[in-house]
Amino acid sequence: MTAHDWFLEHRAAWVARALDEEEARSFRDHLKRCPDCRAAVAELEAELAWLPMGVSPVAPRPGFRREAIERTLGRRPPRRWILPLALAASLLVAVGLVFQLERRVGALEADVAGQRTALAALEDTMSVARQAGRMLHASFAMDGKTCGMMILADEHTHRWSVVVHGLPPAKVGEKYQFWFITDGGMRQGVVLEVVPGKMATFTTGMPPGNAKVMGAALSVEPMDNGGPEMKGPELAKIML
Amino acid sequence: MTPERDFRSKPVLTALVAAAPASLRERLLARDEGALAELIDLASPWLLGITQSILRDREESEEVVFEVFGTAWDRIGEVEPDPRGLMPWLIRVARNRAIDRLRRRGRRLRTAVQAHSLGVLGELVTAPTEVNEAATPGWQVHERVHAALLQLPEDQRAAVRLAYFHGLTHSEIAQALSIPMGTVKTRLRLAFDKLRQTLAPLKEWVQ
Repeated sequence: MTAHDWFLEHRAAWVARALDEEEARSFRDHLKRCPDCRAAVAELEAELAWLPMGVSPVAPRPGFRREAIERTLGRRPPRRWILPLALAASLLVAVGLVFQLERRVGALEADVAGQRTALAALEDTMSVARQAGRMLHASFAMDGKTCGMMILADEHTHRWSVVVHGLPPAKVGEKYQFWFITDGGMRQGVVLEVVPGKMATFTTGMPPGNAKVMGAALSVEPMDNGGPEMKGPELAKIML
Repeated sequence: MTPERDFRSKPVLTALVAAAPASLRERLLARDEGALAELIDLASPWLLGITQSILRDREESEEVVFEVFGTAWDRIGEVEPDPRGLMPWLIRVARNRAIDRLRRRGRRLRTAVQAHSLGVLGELVTAPTEVNEAATPGWQVHERVHAALLQLPEDQRAAVRLAYFHGLTHSEIAQALSIPMGTVKTRLRLAFDKLRQTLAPLKEWVQ
Protein backbone atom coordinates (compact mmCIF):
# COMPACT_ATOMS: atom_id res chain seq x y z
CA MET A 1 0.00 0.00 0.00
CA THR A 2 1.51 3.29 -1.07
CA ALA A 3 1.11 6.55 0.79
CA HIS A 4 -1.30 7.72 -1.88
CA ASP A 5 -3.51 4.66 -1.40
CA TRP A 6 -4.42 5.98 2.04
CA PHE A 7 -5.74 9.15 0.45
CA LEU A 8 -7.63 7.14 -2.17
CA GLU A 9 -9.36 5.15 0.54
CA HIS A 10 -10.24 8.21 2.58
CA ARG A 11 -11.67 10.46 -0.12
CA ALA A 12 -15.27 9.67 0.85
CA ALA A 13 -14.43 10.10 4.52
CA TRP A 14 -12.99 13.51 3.69
CA VAL A 15 -16.17 14.48 1.85
CA ALA A 16 -18.23 13.19 4.76
CA ARG A 17 -15.93 15.06 7.18
CA ALA A 18 -15.49 11.83 9.11
CA LEU A 19 -11.71 12.18 9.33
CA ASP A 20 -10.24 12.95 12.71
CA GLU A 21 -8.45 16.26 13.13
CA GLU A 22 -4.96 15.07 12.31
CA GLU A 23 -6.14 12.96 9.37
CA ALA A 24 -8.14 15.87 8.03
CA ARG A 25 -5.12 18.16 8.23
CA SER A 26 -3.04 15.64 6.36
CA PHE A 27 -5.71 15.17 3.70
CA ARG A 28 -6.10 18.93 3.27
CA ASP A 29 -2.38 19.30 2.70
CA HIS A 30 -2.44 16.44 0.21
CA LEU A 31 -5.31 18.00 -1.78
CA LYS A 32 -3.22 21.11 -2.35
CA ARG A 33 -0.64 18.99 -4.11
CA CYS A 34 -2.79 16.33 -5.82
CA PRO A 35 -5.04 17.38 -8.71
CA ASP A 36 -6.30 13.80 -9.13
CA CYS A 37 -7.61 13.71 -5.59
CA ARG A 38 -9.07 17.21 -5.97
CA ALA A 39 -11.00 16.11 -9.04
CA ALA A 40 -12.10 12.87 -7.40
CA VAL A 41 -13.24 14.69 -4.29
CA ALA A 42 -15.21 17.18 -6.39
CA GLU A 43 -16.89 14.30 -8.19
CA LEU A 44 -17.70 12.58 -4.90
CA GLU A 45 -19.12 15.78 -3.49
CA ALA A 46 -21.36 16.04 -6.54
CA GLU A 47 -22.49 12.43 -6.23
CA LEU A 48 -23.22 12.71 -2.53
CA ALA A 49 -24.54 16.27 -2.70
CA TRP A 50 -28.09 15.27 -1.86
CA LEU A 51 -27.21 12.76 0.85
CA PRO A 52 -27.80 15.31 3.68
CA MET A 53 -31.41 15.49 2.52
CA GLY A 54 -31.85 12.09 4.11
CA VAL A 55 -32.78 14.00 7.23
CA SER A 56 -36.37 14.84 7.93
CA PRO A 57 -37.21 18.48 7.23
CA VAL A 58 -37.86 20.68 10.21
CA ALA A 59 -40.67 23.20 10.01
CA PRO A 60 -39.31 26.64 10.88
CA ARG A 61 -40.79 28.14 14.00
CA PRO A 62 -43.18 31.08 13.63
CA GLY A 63 -41.17 34.22 13.01
CA PHE A 64 -38.14 32.36 11.66
CA ARG A 65 -38.79 33.48 8.09
CA ARG A 66 -39.07 37.15 9.01
CA GLU A 67 -35.98 36.94 11.23
CA ALA A 68 -34.01 35.19 8.49
CA ILE A 69 -34.92 37.86 5.95
CA GLU A 70 -34.20 40.75 8.29
CA ARG A 71 -30.90 39.32 9.51
CA THR A 72 -29.79 38.54 5.99
CA LEU A 73 -30.60 42.02 4.80
CA GLY A 74 -28.78 43.50 7.77
CA ARG A 75 -31.84 44.64 9.65
CA ARG A 76 -31.32 42.64 12.77
CA PRO A 77 -34.58 42.18 14.65
CA PRO A 78 -34.63 42.14 18.44
CA ARG A 79 -32.95 39.01 19.71
CA ARG A 80 -35.01 36.64 21.76
CA TRP A 81 -33.23 37.73 24.90
CA ILE A 82 -34.28 41.28 24.10
CA LEU A 83 -37.88 40.45 24.95
CA PRO A 84 -37.34 39.97 28.68
CA LEU A 85 -35.04 42.98 28.61
CA ALA A 86 -37.72 45.02 26.87
CA LEU A 87 -40.26 43.87 29.43
CA ALA A 88 -37.91 44.92 32.21
CA ALA A 89 -37.35 48.27 30.49
CA SER A 90 -41.10 48.67 30.09
CA LEU A 91 -41.52 47.93 33.76
CA LEU A 92 -38.91 50.56 34.59
CA VAL A 93 -40.65 53.04 32.33
CA ALA A 94 -43.98 52.21 33.98
CA VAL A 95 -42.43 52.68 37.42
CA GLY A 96 -40.94 55.95 36.21
CA LEU A 97 -44.31 57.06 34.88
CA VAL A 98 -45.99 56.20 38.16
CA PHE A 99 -43.27 58.13 39.97
CA GLN A 100 -43.75 61.09 37.63
CA LEU A 101 -47.50 60.92 38.06
CA GLU A 102 -47.12 60.78 41.81
CA ARG A 103 -44.85 63.82 41.63
CA ARG A 104 -47.36 65.57 39.40
CA VAL A 105 -50.20 64.69 41.75
CA GLY A 106 -48.04 65.93 44.62
CA ALA A 107 -47.35 69.17 42.76
CA LEU A 108 -51.05 69.58 42.01
CA GLU A 109 -51.88 68.90 45.63
CA ALA A 110 -49.28 71.48 46.67
CA ASP A 111 -50.76 73.87 44.13
CA VAL A 112 -54.24 73.24 45.48
CA ALA A 113 -52.89 73.75 48.99
CA GLY A 114 -51.30 77.01 47.86
CA GLN A 115 -54.55 78.13 46.25
CA ARG A 116 -56.41 77.26 49.43
CA THR A 117 -53.91 79.28 51.43
CA ALA A 118 -54.29 82.21 49.05
CA LEU A 119 -58.08 81.87 49.22
CA ALA A 120 -57.91 81.72 53.00
CA ALA A 121 -55.71 84.82 52.99
CA LEU A 122 -58.17 86.58 50.68
CA GLU A 123 -61.10 85.53 52.85
CA ASP A 124 -59.11 86.74 55.84
CA THR A 125 -58.48 90.07 54.12
CA MET A 126 -62.12 90.37 53.14
CA SER A 127 -63.11 89.43 56.65
CA VAL A 128 -60.88 92.16 58.06
CA ALA A 129 -62.19 94.63 55.49
CA ARG A 130 -65.78 93.77 56.34
CA GLN A 131 -65.10 94.00 60.07
CA ALA A 132 -62.96 97.13 59.81
CA GLY A 133 -64.02 99.94 62.11
CA ARG A 134 -61.54 102.46 60.75
CA MET A 135 -60.14 103.31 57.40
CA LEU A 136 -56.94 105.33 57.16
CA HIS A 137 -55.37 106.60 53.97
CA ALA A 138 -52.23 108.44 52.94
CA SER A 139 -51.25 109.64 49.48
CA PHE A 140 -47.70 110.03 48.25
CA ALA A 141 -45.79 110.57 45.02
CA MET A 142 -43.42 108.08 43.52
CA ASP A 143 -41.53 108.70 40.28
CA GLY A 144 -44.00 111.51 39.51
CA LYS A 145 -47.05 109.28 39.99
CA THR A 146 -49.63 109.46 42.74
CA CYS A 147 -49.62 106.47 45.04
CA GLY A 148 -51.56 105.67 48.17
CA MET A 149 -51.61 103.45 51.23
CA MET A 150 -54.90 102.49 52.89
CA ILE A 151 -55.33 100.65 56.16
CA LEU A 152 -58.61 98.96 57.10
CA ALA A 153 -58.30 98.34 60.83
CA ASP A 154 -60.40 95.75 62.68
CA GLU A 155 -60.25 96.94 66.22
CA HIS A 156 -61.86 93.81 67.63
CA THR A 157 -59.26 91.41 66.31
CA HIS A 158 -56.47 93.97 66.10
CA ARG A 159 -55.77 93.08 62.53
CA TRP A 160 -55.23 95.29 59.55
CA SER A 161 -55.93 94.88 55.93
CA VAL A 162 -53.49 97.07 54.02
CA VAL A 163 -53.76 98.16 50.40
CA VAL A 164 -50.96 100.03 48.61
CA HIS A 165 -51.45 101.21 45.06
CA GLY A 166 -49.45 102.97 42.39
CA LEU A 167 -46.04 101.60 43.35
CA PRO A 168 -43.55 100.67 40.66
CA PRO A 169 -41.58 97.45 41.21
CA ALA A 170 -38.78 97.80 43.73
CA LYS A 171 -35.30 98.41 42.31
CA VAL A 172 -32.64 95.76 42.53
CA GLY A 173 -31.24 95.62 46.05
CA GLU A 174 -34.17 97.52 47.50
CA LYS A 175 -37.51 96.62 49.05
CA TYR A 176 -40.74 98.29 50.05
CA GLN A 177 -40.89 97.89 53.80
CA PHE A 178 -44.06 98.29 55.86
CA TRP A 179 -43.42 99.55 59.39
CA PHE A 180 -45.35 99.61 62.66
CA ILE A 181 -44.81 102.81 64.61
CA THR A 182 -45.01 101.85 68.29
CA ASP A 183 -44.31 103.51 71.55
CA GLY A 184 -41.23 101.33 71.75
CA GLY A 185 -39.88 102.40 68.34
CA MET A 186 -40.16 101.17 64.80
CA ARG A 187 -40.96 97.53 64.10
CA GLN A 188 -40.62 95.94 60.69
CA GLY A 189 -43.78 94.48 59.19
CA VAL A 190 -44.15 92.73 55.87
CA VAL A 191 -42.15 93.43 52.74
CA LEU A 192 -44.51 94.39 49.94
CA GLU A 193 -44.59 92.26 46.84
CA VAL A 194 -45.37 94.65 44.00
CA VAL A 195 -46.74 93.47 40.70
CA PRO A 196 -46.78 96.25 38.07
CA GLY A 197 -50.27 97.61 37.50
CA LYS A 198 -51.74 95.84 40.51
CA MET A 199 -52.35 96.84 44.07
CA ALA A 200 -50.29 95.24 46.80
CA THR A 201 -52.52 93.91 49.54
CA PHE A 202 -51.83 92.09 52.73
CA THR A 203 -53.46 91.40 56.05
CA THR A 204 -51.41 91.59 59.19
CA GLY A 205 -51.72 91.22 62.89
CA MET A 206 -49.98 93.49 65.37
CA PRO A 207 -46.26 93.04 66.08
CA PRO A 208 -45.43 90.71 68.97
CA GLY A 209 -44.79 92.13 72.42
CA ASN A 210 -46.58 94.67 74.53
CA ALA A 211 -45.65 97.73 72.53
CA LYS A 212 -48.58 99.96 71.65
CA VAL A 213 -49.06 100.47 67.90
CA MET A 214 -49.44 104.13 67.14
CA GLY A 215 -49.30 104.19 63.40
CA ALA A 216 -47.71 102.73 60.26
CA ALA A 217 -45.22 103.81 57.65
CA LEU A 218 -43.91 102.67 54.25
CA SER A 219 -40.35 103.20 53.13
CA VAL A 220 -37.83 102.11 50.56
CA GLU A 221 -35.11 100.11 52.33
CA PRO A 222 -31.92 98.42 51.34
CA MET A 223 -32.64 94.71 50.94
CA ASP A 224 -30.32 93.87 53.82
CA ASN A 225 -31.94 96.13 56.38
CA GLY A 226 -33.54 93.82 58.89
CA GLY A 227 -33.18 96.14 61.83
CA PRO A 228 -35.59 98.44 63.64
CA GLU A 229 -34.27 101.63 62.11
CA MET A 230 -35.59 103.10 58.89
CA LYS A 231 -32.62 103.80 56.58
CA GLY A 232 -34.33 104.58 53.32
CA PRO A 233 -36.68 107.33 52.30
CA GLU A 234 -40.11 107.26 53.92
CA LEU A 235 -42.90 107.12 51.35
CA ALA A 236 -46.00 107.29 53.55
CA LYS A 237 -46.93 107.62 57.17
CA ILE A 238 -50.28 107.05 58.87
CA MET A 239 -50.91 107.77 62.55
CA LEU A 240 -53.88 106.27 64.35
CA MET B 1 -53.32 28.67 2.86
CA THR B 2 -50.73 31.03 4.29
CA PRO B 3 -48.21 32.81 2.05
CA GLU B 4 -45.42 30.71 3.57
CA ARG B 5 -47.12 27.59 2.27
CA ASP B 6 -47.74 28.85 -1.25
CA PHE B 7 -44.61 27.31 -2.64
CA ARG B 8 -45.85 23.90 -1.71
CA SER B 9 -48.36 23.96 -4.51
CA LYS B 10 -45.56 24.08 -7.11
CA PRO B 11 -44.24 20.93 -8.77
CA VAL B 12 -41.82 19.88 -6.09
CA LEU B 13 -38.69 18.89 -7.93
CA THR B 14 -39.14 21.52 -10.56
CA ALA B 15 -39.32 24.17 -7.91
CA LEU B 16 -36.45 22.90 -5.83
CA VAL B 17 -33.92 21.50 -8.16
CA ALA B 18 -34.31 22.74 -11.66
CA ALA B 19 -36.14 25.97 -12.28
CA ALA B 20 -36.25 27.66 -8.90
CA PRO B 21 -32.57 27.54 -7.86
CA ALA B 22 -31.35 28.56 -11.33
CA SER B 23 -33.64 31.53 -11.55
CA LEU B 24 -33.19 32.24 -7.89
CA ARG B 25 -29.46 32.64 -8.35
CA GLU B 26 -29.97 35.21 -11.06
CA ARG B 27 -32.53 37.05 -8.99
CA LEU B 28 -30.32 36.89 -5.92
CA LEU B 29 -27.51 38.33 -8.00
CA ALA B 30 -29.91 41.13 -8.93
CA ARG B 31 -30.46 41.72 -5.17
CA ASP B 32 -34.11 40.71 -5.43
CA GLU B 33 -35.34 40.48 -1.85
CA GLY B 34 -38.33 38.46 -3.02
CA ALA B 35 -35.88 35.84 -4.27
CA LEU B 36 -34.28 35.77 -0.86
CA ALA B 37 -37.67 35.10 0.72
CA GLU B 38 -38.30 32.30 -1.77
CA LEU B 39 -34.90 30.80 -1.03
CA ILE B 40 -35.62 30.88 2.67
CA ASP B 41 -38.98 29.22 2.12
CA LEU B 42 -37.46 26.49 -0.02
CA ALA B 43 -34.31 25.77 1.90
CA SER B 44 -35.12 26.38 5.56
CA PRO B 45 -36.84 23.06 6.35
CA TRP B 46 -33.89 21.10 4.98
CA LEU B 47 -31.13 23.30 6.34
CA LEU B 48 -32.78 23.26 9.76
CA GLY B 49 -33.16 19.49 9.54
CA ILE B 50 -29.51 19.03 8.65
CA THR B 51 -28.10 21.41 11.25
CA GLN B 52 -30.39 20.21 14.03
CA SER B 53 -29.47 16.65 13.27
CA ILE B 54 -25.82 17.56 13.79
CA LEU B 55 -26.05 20.09 16.59
CA ARG B 56 -29.08 18.83 18.51
CA ASP B 57 -29.71 22.40 19.53
CA ARG B 58 -32.53 24.36 17.94
CA GLU B 59 -31.22 27.85 18.59
CA GLU B 60 -27.67 27.07 17.54
CA SER B 61 -29.04 25.36 14.46
CA GLU B 62 -31.04 28.44 13.57
CA GLU B 63 -27.94 30.59 14.01
CA VAL B 64 -26.11 28.43 11.49
CA VAL B 65 -28.96 28.65 9.00
CA PHE B 66 -29.13 32.43 9.40
CA GLU B 67 -25.40 32.53 8.66
CA VAL B 68 -25.86 30.41 5.59
CA PHE B 69 -28.53 32.69 4.17
CA GLY B 70 -26.33 35.66 4.95
CA THR B 71 -23.44 34.03 3.11
CA ALA B 72 -25.66 33.20 0.16
CA TRP B 73 -26.91 36.76 -0.04
CA ASP B 74 -23.51 38.41 0.43
CA ARG B 75 -21.35 36.08 -1.63
CA ILE B 76 -23.63 34.86 -4.36
CA GLY B 77 -21.73 37.03 -6.81
CA GLU B 78 -18.33 35.78 -5.70
CA VAL B 79 -19.12 32.08 -5.90
CA GLU B 80 -18.91 30.39 -9.26
CA PRO B 81 -22.25 28.93 -10.29
CA ASP B 82 -22.34 25.47 -8.78
CA PRO B 83 -23.09 22.95 -11.54
CA ARG B 84 -25.15 21.00 -9.02
CA GLY B 85 -27.36 23.99 -8.29
CA LEU B 86 -27.87 26.36 -5.46
CA MET B 87 -29.41 23.96 -2.97
CA PRO B 88 -26.47 21.50 -2.82
CA TRP B 89 -24.16 24.45 -2.22
CA LEU B 90 -26.36 25.72 0.62
CA ILE B 91 -26.60 22.22 2.07
CA ARG B 92 -22.83 21.79 1.98
CA VAL B 93 -22.20 25.17 3.60
CA ALA B 94 -24.80 24.52 6.30
CA ARG B 95 -23.48 21.05 7.06
CA ASN B 96 -19.87 22.21 7.20
CA ARG B 97 -20.68 25.10 9.51
CA ALA B 98 -22.75 22.91 11.78
CA ILE B 99 -19.89 20.41 11.98
CA ASP B 100 -17.42 23.24 12.67
CA ARG B 101 -19.55 24.29 15.61
CA LEU B 102 -19.91 20.71 16.76
CA ARG B 103 -16.17 20.16 16.68
CA ARG B 104 -15.60 23.24 18.81
CA ARG B 105 -17.47 21.48 21.58
CA GLY B 106 -15.56 19.09 23.77
CA ARG B 107 -15.09 15.74 22.09
CA ARG B 108 -16.28 13.71 25.04
CA LEU B 109 -19.34 15.86 25.42
CA ARG B 110 -20.36 15.68 21.79
CA THR B 111 -19.82 11.95 21.61
CA ALA B 112 -21.86 11.36 24.72
CA VAL B 113 -24.61 13.69 23.57
CA GLN B 114 -24.73 12.17 20.12
CA ALA B 115 -24.72 8.63 21.48
CA HIS B 116 -27.53 9.50 23.84
CA SER B 117 -29.42 11.27 21.08
CA LEU B 118 -29.11 8.25 18.87
CA GLY B 119 -30.66 6.10 21.53
CA VAL B 120 -33.67 8.36 21.63
CA LEU B 121 -33.76 9.87 18.16
CA GLY B 122 -31.71 7.49 16.10
CA GLU B 123 -34.48 6.89 13.65
CA LEU B 124 -35.20 10.56 13.17
CA VAL B 125 -33.03 10.66 10.11
CA THR B 126 -34.93 8.09 8.15
CA ALA B 127 -38.33 8.10 9.77
CA PRO B 128 -40.31 11.25 9.06
CA THR B 129 -42.68 12.12 11.85
CA GLU B 130 -45.13 14.43 10.13
CA VAL B 131 -47.42 13.33 7.33
CA ASN B 132 -47.60 16.80 5.78
CA GLU B 133 -43.83 16.85 5.32
CA ALA B 134 -44.54 15.15 2.03
CA ALA B 135 -45.79 18.50 0.75
CA THR B 136 -42.43 20.12 1.45
CA PRO B 137 -40.44 21.02 -1.67
CA GLY B 138 -37.63 18.52 -2.05
CA TRP B 139 -39.56 15.72 -0.45
CA GLN B 140 -39.05 13.49 -3.50
CA VAL B 141 -35.30 13.96 -3.17
CA HIS B 142 -35.58 13.02 0.48
CA GLU B 143 -37.50 9.89 -0.46
CA ARG B 144 -34.83 8.88 -2.96
CA VAL B 145 -32.09 9.36 -0.38
CA HIS B 146 -34.17 7.54 2.19
CA ALA B 147 -34.63 4.62 -0.16
CA ALA B 148 -30.91 4.54 -0.90
CA LEU B 149 -30.11 4.43 2.80
CA LEU B 150 -32.60 1.61 3.36
CA GLN B 151 -30.77 -0.47 0.78
CA LEU B 152 -27.66 -0.42 2.94
CA PRO B 153 -27.02 -3.09 5.55
CA GLU B 154 -27.99 -1.89 9.00
CA ASP B 155 -24.40 -1.71 10.27
CA GLN B 156 -23.34 0.45 7.30
CA ARG B 157 -26.45 2.61 7.61
CA ALA B 158 -25.68 3.25 11.27
CA ALA B 159 -22.14 4.32 10.42
CA VAL B 160 -23.36 6.65 7.65
CA ARG B 161 -25.98 8.07 9.95
CA LEU B 162 -23.42 8.91 12.60
CA ALA B 163 -20.94 10.33 10.12
CA TYR B 164 -23.15 12.19 7.71
CA PHE B 165 -26.16 13.18 9.74
CA HIS B 166 -24.58 13.61 13.16
CA GLY B 167 -21.12 14.85 12.19
CA LEU B 168 -19.06 12.28 14.08
CA THR B 169 -15.53 11.33 13.07
CA HIS B 170 -14.17 7.82 12.55
CA SER B 171 -12.89 7.54 16.08
CA GLU B 172 -16.08 8.99 17.57
CA ILE B 173 -18.20 6.51 15.61
CA ALA B 174 -15.97 3.69 16.78
CA GLN B 175 -16.46 4.84 20.34
CA ALA B 176 -20.24 5.29 19.93
CA LEU B 177 -20.72 1.87 18.34
CA SER B 178 -17.99 0.13 20.37
CA ILE B 179 -16.29 -1.24 17.29
CA PRO B 180 -12.72 -0.93 15.95
CA MET B 181 -11.95 2.17 13.92
CA GLY B 182 -10.85 0.02 10.98
CA THR B 183 -14.31 -1.51 10.92
CA VAL B 184 -15.87 1.93 10.89
CA LYS B 185 -13.74 2.96 7.92
CA THR B 186 -14.61 -0.20 6.03
CA ARG B 187 -18.34 0.16 6.65
CA LEU B 188 -18.29 3.79 5.58
CA ARG B 189 -16.27 3.10 2.48
CA LEU B 190 -18.61 0.32 1.40
CA ALA B 191 -21.65 2.45 2.18
CA PHE B 192 -20.40 5.45 0.23
CA ASP B 193 -19.49 3.30 -2.76
CA LYS B 194 -23.11 2.14 -2.91
CA LEU B 195 -24.62 5.53 -2.16
CA ARG B 196 -22.68 7.39 -4.82
CA GLN B 197 -24.04 4.98 -7.39
CA THR B 198 -27.59 5.17 -6.09
CA LEU B 199 -27.63 8.92 -5.68
CA ALA B 200 -25.68 9.81 -8.82
CA PRO B 201 -28.82 10.07 -10.98
CA LEU B 202 -29.98 12.92 -8.76
CA LYS B 203 -27.27 15.04 -10.35
CA GLU B 204 -29.28 15.61 -13.48
CA TRP B 205 -31.92 17.45 -11.49
CA VAL B 206 -29.45 20.09 -10.48
CA GLN B 207 -27.93 20.77 -13.84
